[in-house]
Amino acid sequence: MPDLDKLHEAVVEGDSKTAAAVTHAAIAAGVEPLAIVTGYLVPAMDEVGRRFECEEYFVPEMLLSARAMKASMEIVRPLLAAAGTEPVGRVVIGTVQGDLHDIGKNLVASMLEGGGFEVIDLGANVTPERFIDAVTTRNAHVVALSALLTVTMTSMKTTIDAFQAAGLREKVKIMVGGAPVTQQYADAIGADGFGESAAAAVALARRLVAV
Amino acid sequence: MNHREPDRIPLDFGSTSVTGIHVSAVAALRRHYGLAPGPVKVHEPYQMLGLVEDDLRAALGLDVIGVFPCRTMFGVPADNWKEWNFHGLDVLVPGGFRTRTESNGDILVYPEGDETAAPSGRMPVGSAFFDAIVRQPEIDERKLDPADNLEEFAPIAEEDLDRIERSVRSAAASGCGVAATFGGTAFGDIALVSAPFLKEPKGIRDVAEWYMSTRTWRAYIHSVFERQCEIGIRNLARIHARIAGAVDCVYLCGTDFGTQTSSFCSVATFRELWFPYYKRVNDWVHGNTSWKCFKHSCGSVERFFESFIEAGFDIINPVQCSAAGMEPAGLKRKYGSRLVFWGGGVDTQKTLPFGTPQEVREEVLRRCEIFAPGGGFVFNSIHNLQAGTPVENIVAMLDAVHQFNGVAHA
Repeated sequence: MPDLDKLHEAVVEGDSKTAAAVTHAAIAAGVEPLAIVTGYLVPAMDEVGRRFECEEYFVPEMLLSARAMKASMEIVRPLLAAAGTEPVGRVVIGTVQGDLHDIGKNLVASMLEGGGFEVIDLGANVTPERFIDAVTTRNAHVVALSALLTVTMTSMKTTIDAFQAAGLREKVKIMVGGAPVTQQYADAIGADGFGESAAAAVALARRLVAV
Repeated sequence: MNHREPDRIPLDFGSTSVTGIHVSAVAALRRHYGLAPGPVKVHEPYQMLGLVEDDLRAALGLDVIGVFPCRTMFGVPADNWKEWNFHGLDVLVPGGFRTRTESNGDILVYPEGDETAAPSGRMPVGSAFFDAIVRQPEIDERKLDPADNLEEFAPIAEEDLDRIERSVRSAAASGCGVAATFGGTAFGDIALVSAPFLKEPKGIRDVAEWYMSTRTWRAYIHSVFERQCEIGIRNLARIHARIAGAVDCVYLCGTDFGTQTSSFCSVATFRELWFPYYKRVNDWVHGNTSWKCFKHSCGSVERFFESFIEAGFDIINPVQCSAAGMEPAGLKRKYGSRLVFWGGGVDTQKTLPFGTPQEVREEVLRRCEIFAPGGGFVFNSIHNLQAGTPVENIVAMLDAVHQFNGVAHA
């Protein structure tokens, strides 16, 4: 039986090779895929989020930990799907139309995945129609909208309005985040929540799916 | 810039790529002030910054003029102007600026104007400027060669020295303060890492990869910075030999260390990885020229200010007061006698684009009251004036500064 604490350590330290190796070994030894996620990956990414919040970690460390977590998830994800394991929730995430910045969005996506969510990442410069299509076809519970630019932040409102016009607004929770976004702006455009950081976004998504 | 209070606050808009005005706002201001109609030059197409010509500078009451790099962010000189229609606005773009519009309406731009190369910039529908297209060759850790990340740092060509000298002499003759951008001394400016000016960039060019490399491949980054530092100082020496004291300050570095709520690295990492190179460049400038050293960094960067000062930076921009820990009165009190605040005049994330003219005016007057005493303040908004900013808000901002200065203007 491999030492699974090494998986926790590898994710926290951003060592993707070790994370993948320990995960392979654990699966081979018969460890339940869900136990790997809930017992090791989720706590590891919680620890990464904690270190980011208290400024022990910065963007480079977050990116490395996210990459290590993904290396493990790549192995575990197909097994979870095959077993029909339901995620904590299903989140469609993307940077809104007109905005190509995706580092913040990618970090939030990784933290959500590390938090036990199934994440459908639509990338950057995503039109309202693509968000709606993904929510409809993937039966998502939450939509996470990102924007870095003040000039593209208004696409968040356009997207929320499009959900309203499509009659889907009440079927999905919409959360927003990004440098220029504030709680006040989130309230003004009718979002269900605002996450100031990647860790805060995970906590918010957990609250939204629990409602 | 010498921390002596002048008769009025000097104003800058348009002298650098971080204190500029979007071309659509330049056109709107020209209309507002009744200046000669005609297409505005886009001197920096990456951010679609419009050139502030002499007549607009006079109309706005600006005190600083810029000297721009020899080539734009897409690797072509800002000359041989040609007409281009941008979102219904007729503008002038450099002759080497070549684009293609995709079926979805996104505009792609080619490096060095070479349409046979892969595009290096994209302006998506709904945006008003370009972002770099990452072209990251596969990274083989064993074959990483610092030379690959140094292609853009080379001894300056004689013809470029001629061009710089002409630009500087022309700017100095204006009677304005001269802020010059020569390039080559930023060290890991993330806007430059992806190298939209190169046809086929090698080395580490992906933004996320670069950030991770500052932790995992630090020796490699040091090697790049070391060589870049040597080349940069030699280029500055050759430029100085041509222009001497004809410029007042040099925009040396645009590497962002701040985010809205935190920073991109710890102070300890900054001091280990960046500080030695900044200090060498700034020491050379202070030891050999009369130039002031201009540092740009967005975001929450107060934690680095003591290090910036120790490294020899004289000027900090854009003073993002909307970021965590960047409260203006506190910054002025702690650093006002040692750092020039070039910016911080008004918030561009909320107040200027979305506020009323009265809200803009009140914020500008408050900031002037805080930053002006004792000198060390050049008025500029927090970063460039963006597309879509109401012209009446820009005018309210300028009028407020002129009112504070006690100057009847425009």
